Amino acid sequence: MRKYLALSKGWFMTGMVYRFGFIATIVGNILYMVIAYYLWTSVYDGQEVINGLSFDQTFLYVALASTVFILFNTYVDWLMSFEIREGRITNYLVKPIDHQLAVLAYGGGRTILNILIVTVPTALLLTFAFGVAIPVGVGLLLFPVSLFLAFLISFCFDYAVGLTGFYTESIWGLVTVKETLILALSGALIPIQFFPEGLQNLLRWLPFSAIYHTPLMMITQPDQGLGLLLERLAFQFFWVGTLFVFTRLFYNRAIKVLRIAGG
Amino acid sequence: MRSIREYIRLYFLIEAQYIKARMHYRADFIISSIGMFFSSLVTLGVFWVLFGSITDLAGWTLQEMVFIYAFYMVAISPMQVLFDHIWQLRFQIEEGSFIKYYFRPLNMMFYYMSEMFDIKGLVQLVLGIGLLAYASAQIGIEWTIGNIGLMLAALIGASLVQIAVVVTAACTAFWLVDSWPVLSLSWRVREIAPYPMTIFSGAFRFLFTFVIPVGFIAFYPSQMFLRPGTAPAFVYAAPVIGVILFGLMYLVWTRGVNSWSGTGS
Repeated sequence: MRKYLALSKGWFMTGMVYRFGFIATIVGNILYMVIAYYLWTSVYDGQEVINGLSFDQTFLYVALASTVFILFNTYVDWLMSFEIREGRITNYLVKPIDHQLAVLAYGGGRTILNILIVTVPTALLLTFAFGVAIPVGVGLLLFPVSLFLAFLISFCFDYAVGLTGFYTESIWGLVTVKETLILALSGALIPIQFFPEGLQNLLRWLPFSAIYHTPLMMITQPDQGLGLLLERLAFQFFWVGTLFVFTRLFYNRAIKVLRIAGG
Repeated sequence: MRSIREYIRLYFLIEAQYIKARMHYRADFIISSIGMFFSSLVTLGVFWVLFGSITDLAGWTLQEMVFIYAFYMVAISPMQVLFDHIWQLRFQIEEGSFIKYYFRPLNMMFYYMSEMFDIKGLVQLVLGIGLLAYASAQIGIEWTIGNIGLMLAALIGASLVQIAVVVTAACTAFWLVDSWPVLSLSWRVREIAPYPMTIFSGAFRFLFTFVIPVGFIAFYPSQMFLRPGTAPAFVYAAPVIGVILFGLMYLVWTRGVNSWSGTGS
């Protein structure tokens, strides 16, 4: 455990170097919230409830979604492809350390940094500048658990894309495909309730909705019944397990194509 | 001074070599193009889903929104395809390798930008042109000679606005070295462009029209075609605004190039 904590701390400190980058991230996030605020104000335009959600709920959902996006943005896919290209991947092969857990530790360190620098200011901004009240209910208690599981699922996608660095020179394309698919199909840009009926049912079963929709619904509709909430948590657990196993198998295959010329 | 014709010939020669070199990484090109395809269409998907629940957004129909978005896709493509090298500027200034651009008998901005040609950006351009044709057919815009000329002028003007905003932001590297915060923000503000500026309240509309003029990347120039009768007069200045902003950007670039003193290496 200690060796992984050291890795977390390392990636936390590396992130700290780019302090000014975080200002851009925060301002960018505020900009996104401004667009979202006015877009949804125009969409609601006098209507109280659309698809079962009030304006306040939808705006909270969308604003938090962009914050969660930044929270999960750990750049481990880029780090992995860099380490593979430079041959530093061998560090994991000669040490008693598990590659997947090591990368997870990096991601965790970065996420903690993101919580401190982005999430806390955003929550304050939402409460004071936009005057959004966060509803209280049992879902609010389950939210941290759900968010943690969502982080693990998001990590698995990053890890899988990072592993493609064994096969390709640049991972820009796959990173973009991954981000776009997740954003479009997880309900991160628009709550899943707004999608056409048939598509909604499909999206609820795909792992993408477990990254954004599930934790965000816990916070925007915290009183929708404990049974349903627990069912969604179980669904998240299922995807965490499946994707962890899948990415481990992928690693075992991918590591075999590695050829390194000298040190 | 070389003539424009000479520069164009030179540009084709340089890019032909560049594309040949890039084509060695064919798989990378294909995957990047797929990435470009999806990321270009995601906002359009959001509009499509949204219009399942509403009939208009601040008075604009889905077809009109598609038109504005298609205009936006075409307008941001020249930045993506022709000026992509600007993302490297901050690294080259930090390392000092930017010095090499001073030693050629060529326009420096031309020489600098010609070193990269983003092929995957063409995916966005082609998609945008296709969508623009589709949306205008749906809306029933008549393509007279005059309208086609106006469209070309509008698209060139709008793409100059996008180029001016991003390149000016990147030029801060000449003074700040680390221009990433400014550059990444200037890249994000274009996300405002495909939305009707009329959804924003006074202060923000002023900001996005006169301070960070992203309204001129798509929404205002589109009005010349969508609402030719009722559009405010200033939208007809959109093509000229692009030229002015590009000129200002070029001044900033020139000042930056002249003030940079190298790293000594």
